[in-house]
Amino acid sequence: MDIQNTQSQMRKGVLEFCILSIIRQGEVYPSDIVDKMKAANLHILEGTLYPLLTRLKNAGYLTYRWVESNSGPPRKYFVMTETGLTFYNELEKTWNELADAVQALTQPTEGNNNNQL
Amino acid sequence: MKKVININFQGRVIPIEENAFEILNKYVESLRKFFANEEGRDEIINDIEGRIAELFGETLKKGGTCITEDDVNRIIDSMGRPEDFDDEEANVKSQLGGEQKQQSYQHESQYANTTQEAKKLFRDENRKFLGGVCSGLANYFGIDPLVVRILFVIFFGVTFIPYLILWVAVPSTATQVIGSVRKRLFRDSDDKVIAGVCSGLSQYFGVSVWIPRLLFLIPFFSFVFRFGNWGLWDFPSFLSVSFSPGSLFIYIILWMVLPEAKTSADKLEMKGEKVDLNNIKNTIQGDLEGFGKRAQKFGEEFSQRANQFGQTVGEKGKEFGETVAEKTTQFANEANTVTRKRSGGLGNFIALIAKIFAYFILGCILFAVVAALFSLGVLFTGLLPAKGYLINNGLQTVFTWGTLLLFIWVPVVGVVVFIIRRITKMKGNSNIIRWSFSGLWTLGWVCVICLIASLSKEFKYRNNPIEETIQLSNPTVEKLEVKANSFGKYYRRNNWFQIEPFASLDEDTVFVRNVRIRIVKTKTDSFSVKMVKFSNGRSRQNANVLVSHINYNINQIDSTLLLEKGISITPQDKFRNQNVLITIAVPIGKRIVIKSNSGWDWSHNARVSFGTNDDFENAWDSDDEVEQRWRHDVEYIMTKDGLKRTNQLSNSDDEDDYDSSDKLRNYKKSKEEVQKELEETERKANELKKELQTPMPADSSTYKYQPTKPSKQAAPVKNTAKEYSSNGNALMLRYSI
Repeated sequence: MDIQNTQSQMRKGVLEFCILSIIRQGEVYPSDIVDKMKAANLHILEGTLYPLLTRLKNAGYLTYRWVESNSGPPRKYFVMTETGLTFYNELEKTWNELADAVQALTQPTEGNNNNQL
Repeated sequence: MKKVININFQGRVIPIEENAFEILNKYVESLRKFFANEEGRDEIINDIEGRIAELFGETLKKGGTCITEDDVNRIIDSMGRPEDFDDEEANVKSQLGGEQKQQSYQHESQYANTTQEAKKLFRDENRKFLGGVCSGLANYFGIDPLVVRILFVIFFGVTFIPYLILWVAVPSTATQVIGSVRKRLFRDSDDKVIAGVCSGLSQYFGVSVWIPRLLFLIPFFSFVFRFGNWGLWDFPSFLSVSFSPGSLFIYIILWMVLPEAKTSADKLEMKGEKVDLNNIKNTIQGDLEGFGKRAQKFGEEFSQRANQFGQTVGEKGKEFGETVAEKTTQFANEANTVTRKRSGGLGNFIALIAKIFAYFILGCILFAVVAALFSLGVLFTGLLPAKGYLINNGLQTVFTWGTLLLFIWVPVVGVVVFIIRRITKMKGNSNIIRWSFSGLWTLGWVCVICLIASLSKEFKYRNNPIEETIQLSNPTVEKLEVKANSFGKYYRRNNWFQIEPFASLDEDTVFVRNVRIRIVKTKTDSFSVKMVKFSNGRSRQNANVLVSHINYNINQIDSTLLLEKGISITPQDKFRNQNVLITIAVPIGKRIVIKSNSGWDWSHNARVSFGTNDDFENAWDSDDEVEQRWRHDVEYIMTKDGLKRTNQLSNSDDEDDYDSSDKLRNYKKSKEEVQKELEETERKANELKKELQTPMPADSSTYKYQPTKPSKQAAPVKNTAKEYSSNGNALMLRYSI
């Protein structure tokens, strides 16, 4: 049980950042985001995604527009705003620092084996 | 075979099996419950439903006739159930600053805040000497507290008041670290007489309830007793007029502005106690009687909630709840000990007294400022009745109203609101308010300037002054008494407000005491009186017209000259500096007295002057002439050199008795008398001398009294030189002064 908790904690940390990365690359609608994340092997539930997107929008990092579609109700297409971009850059910096740190720590030092991991 | 129903889902008609619909419904309900506290709950649910509708559409397109139970379940799985959201949700919430219902999170985040806000100005409770002001300042500026303390002590006279103010206004670290709330200003509805304003104030300032009540009520009493002098307590006039409406005004504003302390938390905030469960317990005990131990209760509550959560979440929630409960028990114990430490100690008591004092002074200063501003407003509102006589209709009226409302009242209201907001730390669009008040006040300035400009136009020109000679019925009297004609009209005094020289204000006339008297000498042997009328106006013609409207009568009855008290002005004419100058020519050797009737004082003249542009000004307006320096009720006699006082004073209670010229006069008088006495005795001495020198008749048949001759008398007394000289001195003393 403990391991699951830690794992989910790790995922939680990067979730926002990943979603923002996807949106940054272009206009997407939510199910697209889910698909892309699935393709990248980071699974997310739609029920988690929608609240998160709404919160990001309320914080001013995203905006959306409605696009009519034939095969269903209109869809929201999300785009990143200026403030969102700033926010994203900050997160990216943090992520890079974190990645470097983790990388440095998990590199075997002299005498340590890889199978410690 | 299953029943299929049609539902209107996101604007489309979807055929769906009935039990599939039930499942869908339940799912949406669970989502609603889960996002109950979320800010964008409806939007989120809408989005999710929209996605579901899309998926339904795809399913139907693929060839299904209706949505089945399997379809629904599949879709719900892919969307995710609320239980599954939870792990991912919780952290994201706190990242984006979502609302936390759990107090522990609150406290933790406050801890984080204090470390971030280390550079805010606060009073350092841990390193305090008196009130921690110097420590806090030192911390804020990054210098040694000792330096700050030394500075404060050196400039004690100057820094004393700021110290008190800072002590009162700056929050202490205690409030931040322990996680309590600062005292807030509420209306205390439990302890109210009218609206609990005074109670709330007393709670905030930490004074007894009757102090603010008294402060509000005293002005009411002063208003009632305005017309009596309280012996030594003569209230200055602006206080009497403005204090009472002022305090009512302030009370009403506070009533509207202050929030009522409804919940227990509010009541605790009002009293300034820490809003943690210990005190809530105390309060609720008073209300409901009996609760368990605080820490246990908190732990119980929390573990209860954790259990609820645990039912839907599972083991994880319970564990979490337990650790939090642990933390909070530690935390609450800490808080308890700190409270015990703080209560007690003489230093704290002194600090409390000083705090009360400081609050009181602050309150008084604020009150005085507001009262002064308010009185200014009242003053100008009181001038309103006179408006009709000064202002033409039309543009000027607009300017007047604009001036009154915007220039005078806007800053009053603005300052009052500002003060209240500072006291209660009310949030709001302070920028908007500030800008709107400034804007209105600037508009008021514009109005004032326009008003003054347009008024000055009205007063620009003076009339052609013409001297009229008044016929006296008996110009050769010995003495002339000048009196004011007081019968015939009843002048209602405007009790509430009075400005000289607008003695009385009716609907259709105003009465102005603009009369000046000059006394000059004449070479003839009869009195003569001349009168000149003045007025200003828009143009010279206008001024002349206004002058012709001035109605002023002078009559003589025996030895009394009756003048009218003042000039009456109609609203059509408007007040334009109408005044009358009377010149009384007194022959040499004749006397004149100017009586003062009650309230008739010559020294008040209404002058509105915007610069002089008339040749006649100098000839008539020299107030420095000696002829105009006379006093009421003093009899004067005209001599070659001008007016002189006669010895008698018609009214012995005249305050003129005590001026230096009188003293001089008295001194001179006694000197004269002494001179006279001297002459008298000299005369007597001479007579005696003559007698002594006349030879005595030789005939001694008749006994004649022989006056003793000084020399002979002196002979037998030649005994001692001393006695001789002393006798000589005595003699000399007798004959000299």
